[in-house]
Amino acid sequence: MKFVEDNPQSITSAEIVVGIPSLNEADLISFPTLQADRGLTKYYPDKSAVIVNVDNNSPDDTHQAFMKTRTETPKIYVSTEEGVTGKGNNLRNLFDKALELEAKAVLVIDADLKSISPMWIRNLAEPLFDDYDFVAPLYIRHKYDVTVTNSIAYPLTRALYGRRVRQPIGGDVAFSNKLARCFAESAIWNDAIAHFGIDAWMTTDAIRTHSSIIQSFMGRPKVHKARDIDSEVGLLFEDVLGTIFELMLHFDSFWKDVKWSRPTAVFGFGLGDIEVPPPVRIDTQMLWDKFVSGVRTKWDFYSKALARESVNKLEEVMDIPAMGFEFPTGLWAKIIYDFAVAYKQASLDRGELIRALIPLHYGKTLSFVIETEAMNNQQVEEFIEDQCLQFEKSKPYLVERWDQF
Amino acid sequence: MRKILIVDDEEGIRMLYSMELQDDGYEVITLPDGNGLIDVIEKEHPDCVIMDIKMKEFNGLDLLQQIRKQYYDLPVILNSAYSSFKVDLKTVAADYYVVKSSDLTELKEKLKLALETKVP
Repeated sequence: MKFVEDNPQSITSAEIVVGIPSLNEADLISFPTLQADRGLTKYYPDKSAVIVNVDNNSPDDTHQAFMKTRTETPKIYVSTEEGVTGKGNNLRNLFDKALELEAKAVLVIDADLKSISPMWIRNLAEPLFDDYDFVAPLYIRHKYDVTVTNSIAYPLTRALYGRRVRQPIGGDVAFSNKLARCFAESAIWNDAIAHFGIDAWMTTDAIRTHSSIIQSFMGRPKVHKARDIDSEVGLLFEDVLGTIFELMLHFDSFWKDVKWSRPTAVFGFGLGDIEVPPPVRIDTQMLWDKFVSGVRTKWDFYSKALARESVNKLEEVMDIPAMGFEFPTGLWAKIIYDFAVAYKQASLDRGELIRALIPLHYGKTLSFVIETEAMNNQQVEEFIEDQCLQFEKSKPYLVERWDQF
Repeated sequence: MRKILIVDDEEGIRMLYSMELQDDGYEVITLPDGNGLIDVIEKEHPDCVIMDIKMKEFNGLDLLQQIRKQYYDLPVILNSAYSSFKVDLKTVAADYYVVKSSDLTELKEKLKLALETKVP
């Protein structure tokens, strides 16, 4: 991919590259840049490093905000061409730049991070110097944060590829030179991956290529720009699901062979204080309204996309009143699998198909909120683990239906 | 025959699990604590480790980290009388966490899952 570059210190090599992808983050990018600089100078004073802002030619002048941030570590600004947006496109530029700089460790941190500390740099980078290839983040998050991760991305990628990576779309990751090359040379690319599907794409590729993976405990909860479920769904849902379904087409010979799942090692304990995540407000009436009205609108579509049995079960769920509403996880898993099969069949428009899943996601989220209302974070984690097991148990259903089409 | 390594400082537990699992057709070896654990794994090549957490001089969670460094994909089931250790994120590196009970149904179920797991 062609890019525009501003490299005032003419940096030509660096052992560690910290990449910060952005689009219109002029107000926030200085903070993660400063924290990255502090982390690099504190923990890696003997290694050459550079901080690279991979931007989408932001009209708010993120470029200047980044370059004006005073750091000891040199900085490079790289941008996609005008009109080209997407986090994935930014990271594609980062892969190329990291290879050009012959980086041994490549870190990615979000530009809107408000809770990053210098220790995050150490926790992400250190496993790469201990022969790991991919470092996924492990945060303490509020039980109602990242609903797309908890209800779909984590249970689905775990059931498909057999590796338990708790935050498969976490955003703050690190990878080796070997994996950067693998990413840069990948022929599998589409519009969803070029945007917010990139995190699911990287995690899947790391698992699929048998790279050594570790999760790194970040200590502090992830706090970034305020998002509610609506904005989370609007921002991520289509890209994440579009990417996971697309990758299922390419790697079915791998995932059909996977049974149950294995844990992933963890790095970073005792390296910082554990903090409580900030509260997340959730409007259950809004979830109910969007679920009911969305399902009614899409009913004919569901009749085409879902297996007959799933349609019947969904009818049962629709009869449950809002008070005490429950969306069984076994049914949820089968519906997700039905949608994946429909995506493969391609008899329905794929974009419309993924968007049709959104009302059901609201329903599943409402059920999750009701069921976990009295639970603490640890109990919720166990609840999510149980959901994942149900995805794994239902996998033969997916494999059987997948092979029919 | 699948070989199971039991690491527990309670002799009664080691005996109970040995009898029950042998009846189910497993070969069982035991250790009273973490002394020589890695050497035993190296020598015996168990198919799964069932390990206590709170042992006199050893912490099963630290032993789990040691196992993971050298045997990334060896199934490990943490088996403690305490459910409170679940809050420790180190447990994430275990295949399963089963709270001790006189009824071994859950432990046997998780053992079966751990042994059936197939990841290319």
